[in-house]
Amino acid sequence: MLQKREDRTIAFQLISFVFAFMLIVFLASILVTRNMYHNIMLDNQLDNMRHLAHERIYLIDGILFRIEGFARIAKSAMTDYGLSEEDRESFLRELLMENPQIHSICIADSVQQGKQPRIMFTVRHRFSERTISGTDYQYQDWFQIPYITEKPYWTEPWVDTEGKGELVVSYSIPIFESGKRTGLLRFDIELSYLQEMISGTGFFKIGSSFLVSASGTLVAHRDMDLVMNQTLFSLSQEYRGSGLERLGHAMVSGEQGHIHLTGDSPFARAWVYYQPLQSNRWSVGVAIEEDYLLKEVYAILMIQTVASILIFLIVIIIIYARVLSVSRPLKRLALAADRIGSGDFNVQIPESDNSQEIATLSQSFIAMQASLKDYIRNLRITTEEKNQIRSDVMFASEIQTKLIPKNSEHPFGIKALRAYGILEPAGDIGGDLYDYFMIDEDHFCFVIADVLGKGIVAAMAMTMASTLLPSIAPFYKNSNELLSRLNSFLCRNNIESNFVTALLGIIDLKTGTLQYTNCGHVPLYVRKIDRSFVKYGETHATALGVFDNLKIGYDEIQLNMGDEVILFTDGITEAMSAEDEFLGTSGLEDILRKLPTPNPEVTANSILKSVHQFARGSAHKDDITLLVIDYKHPDM
Amino acid sequence: MKAANFLNFTGVAVLCMLLFTSCKAEKSRPGDGKIGGAAASRTETNFTIRYRPKWQSQAQFAGVYMAHHKGFYEQYGLDVKIQRLLQAHEATDSLYHGCSDVVHIDLLNALEENRDSTRIVNIGQVTQKNSVLLVGKKSRGINSLEDFRGKKLGMWRSGSFLITELFLLKSKIPMQVVPIDWSISLFTQDVVDVINAMRYNEYHQLLQAGIREEDLFVVDLAELGYQIPDEGFYVTPEFYHAHPQECEAFLRATMDGWLYAFSHREETLDLVLKRMQDDNIRANRTHQGWMLEQMKEVVMPSTDEMGILKKQDYQNALQLMTEFYDFPRNIPYEEFYPNAAKKRR
Repeated sequence: MLQKREDRTIAFQLISFVFAFMLIVFLASILVTRNMYHNIMLDNQLDNMRHLAHERIYLIDGILFRIEGFARIAKSAMTDYGLSEEDRESFLRELLMENPQIHSICIADSVQQGKQPRIMFTVRHRFSERTISGTDYQYQDWFQIPYITEKPYWTEPWVDTEGKGELVVSYSIPIFESGKRTGLLRFDIELSYLQEMISGTGFFKIGSSFLVSASGTLVAHRDMDLVMNQTLFSLSQEYRGSGLERLGHAMVSGEQGHIHLTGDSPFARAWVYYQPLQSNRWSVGVAIEEDYLLKEVYAILMIQTVASILIFLIVIIIIYARVLSVSRPLKRLALAADRIGSGDFNVQIPESDNSQEIATLSQSFIAMQASLKDYIRNLRITTEEKNQIRSDVMFASEIQTKLIPKNSEHPFGIKALRAYGILEPAGDIGGDLYDYFMIDEDHFCFVIADVLGKGIVAAMAMTMASTLLPSIAPFYKNSNELLSRLNSFLCRNNIESNFVTALLGIIDLKTGTLQYTNCGHVPLYVRKIDRSFVKYGETHATALGVFDNLKIGYDEIQLNMGDEVILFTDGITEAMSAEDEFLGTSGLEDILRKLPTPNPEVTANSILKSVHQFARGSAHKDDITLLVIDYKHPDM
Repeated sequence: MKAANFLNFTGVAVLCMLLFTSCKAEKSRPGDGKIGGAAASRTETNFTIRYRPKWQSQAQFAGVYMAHHKGFYEQYGLDVKIQRLLQAHEATDSLYHGCSDVVHIDLLNALEENRDSTRIVNIGQVTQKNSVLLVGKKSRGINSLEDFRGKKLGMWRSGSFLITELFLLKSKIPMQVVPIDWSISLFTQDVVDVINAMRYNEYHQLLQAGIREEDLFVVDLAELGYQIPDEGFYVTPEFYHAHPQECEAFLRATMDGWLYAFSHREETLDLVLKRMQDDNIRANRTHQGWMLEQMKEVVMPSTDEMGILKKQDYQNALQLMTEFYDFPRNIPYEEFYPNAAKKRR
């Protein structure tokens, strides 16, 4: 993980990007340079090769033409000047002795008359002559081809076993007497003489020259193992796909040009320039290896490569140093931020003038540090205040709890009824209210109310109501009047103008008459001894605390012995399930149907338990208040 | 045949000079003159046989070289001396003059040699198929056998020329015959239009001189019905009757040599090229490799048998010679090829 985070540093990313970019530029540059210089070098070297080939051809053709000239002169001496045989022999002998290029001369005249050919040569500058015996010579190329074609002929290299036994090249010219072919003259030149011309001075300077005979045989080449053993075509069979066959055909056909040879061969990866001799059908080639041709290109490319690597390294160092310079204050800022994060708001924020961006960032950090300090100070004050408020609220909650009558089986010792109330605020303090008290000895007054909203204001309104009602009840004794007075009080004193729904009832303990008034509150249920229930949903006015001159009515219900009066706030019917569905009056009535034996405490707790089950998993919370009053239920 | 390589003339020349001295030297060895002037002799343990190849060193004789080199001859109790080519003498002259014990010549030439009396007998047939081709240049207007009419044919003046001559006589195609030795230059220089060529040698030389196969019209005489096997080992009848076991041992060891050569191509070529180099004969590996492959086709066309002169082949040759070459005698198969009679026994 540490390594990965390191790889993503700014320095790494910048260097990677620069490296990739420079690599592409470098490769493109190498390619362009290589091709450009290659073509230039090739053109230059081809010119050099052409000059070298011309030079070799000039030398070789010079000697070959000279031999041809000697042969023609000798032929004329044999046939045209009427010389005696002795004079002819003498002339040829002098020609041989005075021209060291001539290796040997063979006179094959009057062969049809059975005259045996004679061969003249020198041994250590001394003249020597030998007669060829038999007729086998007539089937040798030097004799047979010019004799049949009646045209002069340059042979392939061959060994003159009748002469000095050397490898020679021969020029044979037919002799005619009186228009009739009578024999021929043969002038020999040593092959090694031509080979020396091919491999003369300067031979290896720009490449290697070679000489190819009319049949494609390599008669001169720097690799002596190839000479006379291989033809360009035999090499092409051995090294297929090298281009040697194309070269061979071009050279044997007397063409002039150049070719690039590839693959693994004695001419491997070489450029070859070739041009035919003028004197015979042989051809001179000059080969230069690709590596030699590209030597200077490689040098340039090497310099370019080294320069590129140096530039790259310098750029990398600069980038790295600059990134370090930029990232150092950033790291210091990060450290400072860490310390601020751990609560040290007085840490010194480092300032940097490296760059405008870093300086701006430092200033921002300083401003942020100051803001954070203010914020924390305010937060502390607010928290203290909040704690004070919370403490007050808890105190208020305790007061509110104490305002609610304590549950007892027979409140105020009255055997005629039982009452049980539950107030479950959503927060620390709630806006619901229930209360009951005796107006006089025969009248039991109860009230349940719901102040709009929650919190302190609602609790204060509730407190005012619960304080006011017992104090004025003895003077009015009617539920509608009592609530009318409460309405007037709330309208005068309710600062937040919170309205209050309320249901207030007065039970005449002697008659069992329940007079009640519902001001915008949820319905009242009376559960009968037979487990049935009656819903009283009619309201007698709107909610209290809004309109001062509100007209409020009432209803009366005749309670029977064992009737349970069930009162609640909308926290019951508006309880929400996890699926965001309200319990509603129908849900409440389902609960009422399943209630066990009538008992205010059991009834109240059963309803609360069922509501809690229904609302399980829901985030919605509201004050829940229940009050169950059991009229004249006998103790059991 | 004049199975010559145009590059080989140096060796030929040098070897020619050795002709008489070598022959004389071998004639004067101990054991000389045992039978009919043959110089066969038994060394301390091995029987010496002097073998004269048909031509100068090349892969055409690779079986003999490998049998010699790998010690097969010694294993058969022989001490074989492979002689240098004695160009000035016909091979059979070497036998008659007592310079050689076993010579390597063609079947038709052997028959011709026996025209008047049985002077040589076959102790083993090396090749089972004929390798002689007639090759013409399409550029000279030769695209079919009919185009041969009136054209110049460069035909060997000795050696394997007989089958070509029989072809001309039998097919009645008139051609101007130009006798030639070993050179292919007359063909490459367009002096002749058609040339005799051995598939394993001259034909490949033409390709190595830059002539493309598709530019050649090639007639395989064997495919035209002239299926006369060419090369075999020959000895005088006297030698054979004196040393029949040694003759058979020579054949068996040589055939073992061929089997080894065919399955060890590179080692064989190394040896052949070394021999050529030692003999100052110029050659290249590609050409010798081609020759070895082609020799396999004719020495061992099937794996059933090798080294045998089949009766049918012999009779075909005899019939051809009798019909078109005025051969006067009907030499019995068993007389010409005594191994046949021996096997029958």
